[in-house]
This record gives sequence, C-alpha cells and structure tokens, in this order.
Amino acid sequence: MTDDNSDDTARTDGTGIVPPDDETPTWRERKERTTGLSRLTYEYFERSRREDQDLREESDYVERDVLAFPVWPHELIRNLALTSFFVGMIFFLSATLPPHLGAPANPSQTPAVILPDWYLYWSFGLLKLGPLNPDLAIIGGDKLLADRTYGVLANVVVVGFIAIVPFLNKGSARRPVEQPFWAAIGVMGVVFAVFISALSIKNLVPMDPHLLFDLTFLVPPLAGGMAYAILKTMREGYMYDLNRRYYKLRPPK
Amino acid sequence: MSIERKDDHDHDAWIQEKDLTPVEQSFLTVLVWLDKRLRLVDYLELLETLYYRVNLQMPKSHTEQYNLDNKFWYWYPLYSLGFFSTVAYIVAAISGALLGFYYSPSAAAGSVDIEGATVAYSTVAAIMTDLNFGFFLRSLHRWAAQVMTAAVFLHMLRVYFTGAYKEPREVNWIIGIILLSLTMVFGYTGYLLPWDQLAYWAGQIGVEMSLSIPLIGEWVAQLMFGGFSLGQATLQRMYILHVFLLPFIVTTVIAIHLALVWMQGIAEPH
Ligand code: HEM
Repeated sequence: MTDDNSDDTARTDGTGIVPPDDETPTWRERKERTTGLSRLTYEYFERSRREDQDLREESDYVERDVLAFPVWPHELIRNLALTSFFVGMIFFLSATLPPHLGAPANPSQTPAVILPDWYLYWSFGLLKLGPLNPDLAIIGGDKLLADRTYGVLANVVVVGFIAIVPFLNKGSARRPVEQPFWAAIGVMGVVFAVFISALSIKNLVPMDPHLLFDLTFLVPPLAGGMAYAILKTMREGYMYDLNRRYYKLRPPK
Repeated sequence: MSIERKDDHDHDAWIQEKDLTPVEQSFLTVLVWLDKRLRLVDYLELLETLYYRVNLQMPKSHTEQYNLDNKFWYWYPLYSLGFFSTVAYIVAAISGALLGFYYSPSAAAGSVDIEGATVAYSTVAAIMTDLNFGFFLRSLHRWAAQVMTAAVFLHMLRVYFTGAYKEPREVNWIIGIILLSLTMVFGYTGYLLPWDQLAYWAGQIGVEMSLSIPLIGEWVAQLMFGGFSLGQATLQRMYILHVFLLPFIVTTVIAIHLALVWMQGIAEPH
C-alpha cells in the first residue's frame, strides 16, 4: 500500500469496500468530519492538551509538576522488601493455627451460636438495631419498616456515606493534624465499628447486652471528641512553633 | 501492489554484505524471519521505552524537595497494606485453585462414616485427613483470605487517615469500596462451601437478609441462593460465585485499581 501505486486505476480490491489510497481520509480529515459525541471528545482533548501546555509554559516549578510519589521505585522497593515477611506470616499462621471443621449441616437443629466470619460482624450488628427503629403513633405503634429491612438500610447508609467522603472533604490537607475534624470522624467510625461488631455477638461478650448497646452509641462520639481535642492541641503546638520561628526571623516592628 | 522488493528492503543481501560470525548470521536470519511475520520490532520498541521509563532518574518529589520526611515517616509502613492485600489475594487464589480440584459442591448424602454429612462436607473432610498436605492447603487458603480481608480494611483506614482519597483519587476510593464489598462477598461465599453447621446457618441469615431488602428481596434471594430454603441449588451457586465469577471480577477490578495508582502515583502528605 505505498503511495506510488495510487495512480494505478485497476482496482484489485474487488469489493470496493476498502477505499483506494487516495480516497482514504487522513486522521485530520476524519476528525473534522466527525459529529456529535466523538467530535466533542476530540474538541475537549485538544482544549485540555492546550491547557496543559499553557500551564507548563507559565510554570516556574522547575523540579517537577507531579504531586505524587511514583509507584516505581519509591513504593515497590519497600513493598517487595516487606512482602517475604508477610507471606511468611501467612504460612506461619496456617501451619500453627489450622482451621476448624464443625459438625455437618443439620437443618433441623439450630445451633446455639450462629456466626458469620469476623469481617461481617459490623454488618451483622447493624441488622440488630431494631430497638432504634422508630415506631409511629399514627399507625398504632406499628413500625414503618420491618426491623430487618431497617437493618439492611442501615448498611446501605453506612457504605453510602463512606463512598461519598471524597466529595464531602475537599482541599489539600492530608495528615490528621491538618484536619482534626475528619480525623475525628474516622476515629469515631472505627470505634463504632468495633462496638457494633461486639454487639452482633453480644451473647458471647461477657457484658450486660443493654450496657453494650448503650456504650455502642456513647463511646464512639466520646472517642471522636477526644481525638478532635488532641489533634487540635497538636495543631496549635505546630502553629505556635511555626509562628515563633517566623517572628524570630522577622521580628514585628 | 508491486511484487518486486525494493533494494532497501533486501535484508538477505544486507546480511550477506556484512561480515558476520555464524552465530550472528543465524540470529539475524531468525530475527528477520520472525519479524516479517510478527512485527517484532514494534514490541521491541515498547520494551525499550519501558526499560528507559523504569530506569529513569526520578526528579525530586514534593516531599524530597521540601524535606518533609521527618514529619510523617511513621506512616510509611502502612503504605504497604494495599500491596499486602494484593499478595494475600494471589496466595489465596493459588491455594484456592488447588482446593477446587478436590472439593465437590454437592449436597447429596456423603461419606457414611460421618453422621449426616453431605458430599461437600465429606470432600472437605477428605482434603483435611486423606490428602497429602491437604490440611495445610486448606489452612493456607483460610488464612490468606482472612489476612487479605484484614489488610483491605486496614488499607482503607490508611487511605482515609492520610487523606489519600481526595482529588484526583475519588474514583479509586469508590473502586476501593467496590473491592471491599466484593472481598466480603468472596469470603462469605467461601464460608458456606464446607456446608457444616456454621456454614448452613450463616447461609440462612443470608437468605433472610436478602428477603428483607425492599422490593427486590425475593428476586435477590432466588438469584443468589437459588430459593428461599438452603439446598443443592444454594451450594452450587455459592461455588460458581466463589470459584468462577468472583475470581474474574475481583482480579479485573484489582487490576484497574492498581493501574489507576500507577497512573496517579501515591498521594504525598503535605
Ligand atoms: C482488594 C482490595 C484492594 C487492593 C488489592 C488494593 C490495592 C492497592 C494498592 C497496591 C495501592 C497502592 C498504595 C498502597 O499500597 O497503599 C492502593 C492505593 C489506593 N487504594 Fe486500594 N486496594 C484495595 C482496596 C481498597 C479500598 C477498600 C479502598 C478504599 C475504600 C482503596 C482505596 C485506595 C486509594 C484511594 C488508593 C490511592 C492511595 C494513594 O495514592 O496514596 N483500596 N490500593
């Protein structure tokens, strides 16, 4: 398919489906001919490339214009070094703590303890929030939702909230001291997860179930509040140091 | 199309006019022969680019430039947790593939030695008692799965507390949540496979949970558990999910997750 045989009028491709070379549109022509969504895509790409170019030209940021660690080598070197220990740990656990195989399934005999695996306890616990399910006086004290439906919805709400965190918390702060509020929310979430997990296996926890239920809702905000106070204090400390250094260098007139 | 080759492209003549040792000559001949058919050159070019990219002298990152390491070095080991999830997943996949050859998902009556055992239960028992290294294999699979789940949870906390989910990494956060859910479904479906008392009654809870989903509850229970009471259909579906569907899905989603991390780099603290 070289250019020099384009003047050869004999069409050898038979079907005529493939256009002869001199009719094949170039990429530029294709781009100009497109309409609708693909046209918009091309136009946007061109704009964004132009934007990059302008930014690069304006920038006095000589070293680098990427705000991240490259995965190689920074991340991978350390990870590969730690990996053998990690795999070793899995083998060690498997060799020393083999799993259990209980009695065979028996539909006619409900066991005293029914448990999912530990990582589902939190979800299992959310299913047991029946006491919090509001009952309406209007419909004669009936519950609006079945307790179990309420529990499933609680799961959806929790996961949904976690999913939209990036759209709620914006800005460039990263470390907990830089954002005491969100760090406190995180601490609250973790503590809540621990307590709700304990609640889901309350018949195995050596504690009064009512007390446990109350603690599940009292302790997390408390822990969150404490985290907030501590981080806020730490931040004040950092700011104090920074300010002191600043005013030492440039004493106020 | 002209059939005559241009002189420029007469590689044989080119090889002849070079003064080559037999080794070089045969190497080149094979290379040219393969390249004509497979366009090896294109791939070599890709490899070359890759090689130079990988060995590039990296410019200083933000952290290095402003010497910020002293502020948050203690976070760094936690940055391995995502990789650990991947590694544990691989270990679980390999040990699980091996287990899959010896297990059969049947709720028919199993070994007569065990009171009330199904075939599924008996095969697990056989793996643990008869198969060479079978006990260890099951143990390894179990622990790799447990450790993976733990690592994924901790990885999520690391991402949260280092604020690594912020722009431009929101998409990866959401993909992560999908991965976390899939990991838990993976664990759950696997938990049911031995078909012992724990498995059976955990399955029962699963059916009840599906049934209590508003509107689509019954449909979900039918789809996932093959009916409203547990039996052969349930076991079969859990097996299909656990060894066929989920492995493909999770592997793909992990690959996308890692590709995004590679493209965006690791979020630096400020
Ligand atoms: C199967 C589960 C998962 C695997 C295999 C995995 C793997 C990884 C790996 C290897 C990294 C590179 C950085 C690191 O190692 O920390 C990473 C980064 C990341 N992961 Fe995951 N991850 C998983 C689940 C999750 C979950 C549950 C979330 C959050 C909901 C998440 C969100 C993120 C984000 C936002 C990043 C970018 C962090 C940064 O740039 O510093 N991932 N993931």
